[in-house]
Amino acid sequence: MDLLTGLLTTAFLAGGVLALAAMGEVLAERVGVVNLGAEGLIAMGAITAVATVSAYPSPLVGFLAALCVGALFGALFALATVTIRANQVLCGLALTLIGTGLAQTIGKSYSGMPVAATFQGVEMPLLSKLPVIGPAFFSQNILVYLIYIILPFGLSYLMFRTRHGMNMRAVGENPAAADAAGIPVTLFRFGYVCAGAALAAGAGAYLVLAFVPAWSDGVVAGRGWIAVALVIFAGYRPIPAALSGLLFGFITALGFVGQARGWPIAPAFLSMLPYAGTIAFIIVPVIAWQRMRRLMAAPAALGQPYFRSVR
Amino acid sequence: MADFRLQRLPSATPAAALGARILAIALALIIAGVILAFVGKNPLALGLQVVTSSLGSSFGLEDLGLLVIPLILTGLSVTVAQQIGAWNIGAEGQFYAGAFAASAVGLFAPLSGGWSLVGMGVAGAFGGLVWILIPALARAYANVNELITTLLLNFVAILLVYYVSTDAWRERGGVANSATPRIKAEIPEFWGLVHWGLPIAVLLALAMAGLLAFTRWGYEVRLIGSNPAAGKYLGIAARRHLITVMLLSGAIAGLAGMLEIAGSVHRLQGGISNNYGYLGIMVAVLARGSSIGVIFAAALMAFILNSGIILQTQGLTTSTVLAITGLILFLTAIGDELSHYRVVRDKS
Repeated sequence: MDLLTGLLTTAFLAGGVLALAAMGEVLAERVGVVNLGAEGLIAMGAITAVATVSAYPSPLVGFLAALCVGALFGALFALATVTIRANQVLCGLALTLIGTGLAQTIGKSYSGMPVAATFQGVEMPLLSKLPVIGPAFFSQNILVYLIYIILPFGLSYLMFRTRHGMNMRAVGENPAAADAAGIPVTLFRFGYVCAGAALAAGAGAYLVLAFVPAWSDGVVAGRGWIAVALVIFAGYRPIPAALSGLLFGFITALGFVGQARGWPIAPAFLSMLPYAGTIAFIIVPVIAWQRMRRLMAAPAALGQPYFRSVR
Repeated sequence: MADFRLQRLPSATPAAALGARILAIALALIIAGVILAFVGKNPLALGLQVVTSSLGSSFGLEDLGLLVIPLILTGLSVTVAQQIGAWNIGAEGQFYAGAFAASAVGLFAPLSGGWSLVGMGVAGAFGGLVWILIPALARAYANVNELITTLLLNFVAILLVYYVSTDAWRERGGVANSATPRIKAEIPEFWGLVHWGLPIAVLLALAMAGLLAFTRWGYEVRLIGSNPAAGKYLGIAARRHLITVMLLSGAIAGLAGMLEIAGSVHRLQGGISNNYGYLGIMVAVLARGSSIGVIFAAALMAFILNSGIILQTQGLTTSTVLAITGLILFLTAIGDELSHYRVVRDKS
């Protein structure tokens, strides 16, 4: 395998976690709820998947179990932030602490062991014979099609081409107006927070079932926070979110290749790349393209709880 | 006929907010106890063990005294940034950066005794300050969300410390290959294991409370924090205040890292922070913006953290403490919102 193919293969694999979690965060933020619990949700999804496949060795069942646990935690988060309207930043941080702590506590008995069943690569007929992209994309596990094709395009269609999507965006931009137009604001917010949390947990399941096939305490390694940052970078849109996940997968892959090929840089510095890169990627565009600001703007009501009847 | 309905007040009364915190902690501990009971442990016996071993002996109290030092400072760091409406979630990284810079001075600077400590203190605060510089400037000039930038830098700082303690500055031929040589300059102890960092941390919290409450600077900072638009109309240099306050916040967290190095650990190693930066967020939330409240909230968090350390022999881990802390934070956030409501009676 040549260098580029190797880089891209790892990029698609590693980027999947970020892409999936970032798309989940897009869903929540588009209806006006910041979910800073992504890091904890990924951890919970990962440990759920590990525990499930060790009891029943089917990666698909593990993935679905993680989605359910994610939706459950999402429902708790939505109960606090949407129904009770508690502070979203605090509840998100709390969710990160709870998810990370709980996953590490449960994970103690699975630590260091290989995951019982993982998603295997499937070679697509004809397409896998294409140069570079064939081995790098069309020979991967089936989830990459969900992450890079079905979800981004499906969600993009839903959000920008349907009435339901327009209502959804209205809830995030101006909940009072949406409410006056008869859109059930609380229901929209609750539903999409749960769906987004399910995707974040799914990203955790993908992490351990397709990318790093073992649980360890630091396996999530800040990917949830990178995903939250990518949403800003992607202008709150699903397709750019998936693409920026891939871009950061590529940056991660550069670090791996550097270590494997013995580049004269300490591995610790190569491991810093995704974090430092994320910071650069959310600061530089704001300064460089002032005109892009409106296009890339956050939903106007992001982070604000909606009170209908407070006087 | 009298109808009861809920009325939302614009701000919760201090008593209601305090009550909500106490309830949240009690409820979180009950939930944790029920879960422990489910997995076959006796929560009451564990609780008794925790109380007797941390409050019942001078060793236990000294441990608490050591834990409370970094927690006061990281809590203060988050609280100071909160005053101007900024979220410093990067106290963890600034702690590591401060520990790193202080160790550099302690290991390599040709200073002796007291001067070495002074140098380490300055370096530690400066390290924390440098670590928040980019997020502060990005927030001030490009309105980039400081929450995410400060947090991501945590991972960079942890990797940096991991690198120097296992590679560049590693103690050659030492027993463990994952720490620097012992740093000679040490902060003296004044009570058992507890060093002079404790009074320093407490005094710093009191000084911050005084600065914020009684100076023009403090007034302007609090004004911008609570109403940015009003600050603008009054001609307050909001941007300059934002930058100085965030840098101060980073420097305080960096100083916490230095005190941990010079006061209790004495060498730089990975995992030196014990999650102090993240627990500092919890301290700040419990203290509800009060720099003096930080001291009490830090004492409480030190007790909870110490409980986790004691219970490690019982098969619990620091991760469990992290989860319980998260639960307290979650319930506190909910309680904070609910304490805005009161039941009123409509007369008709």
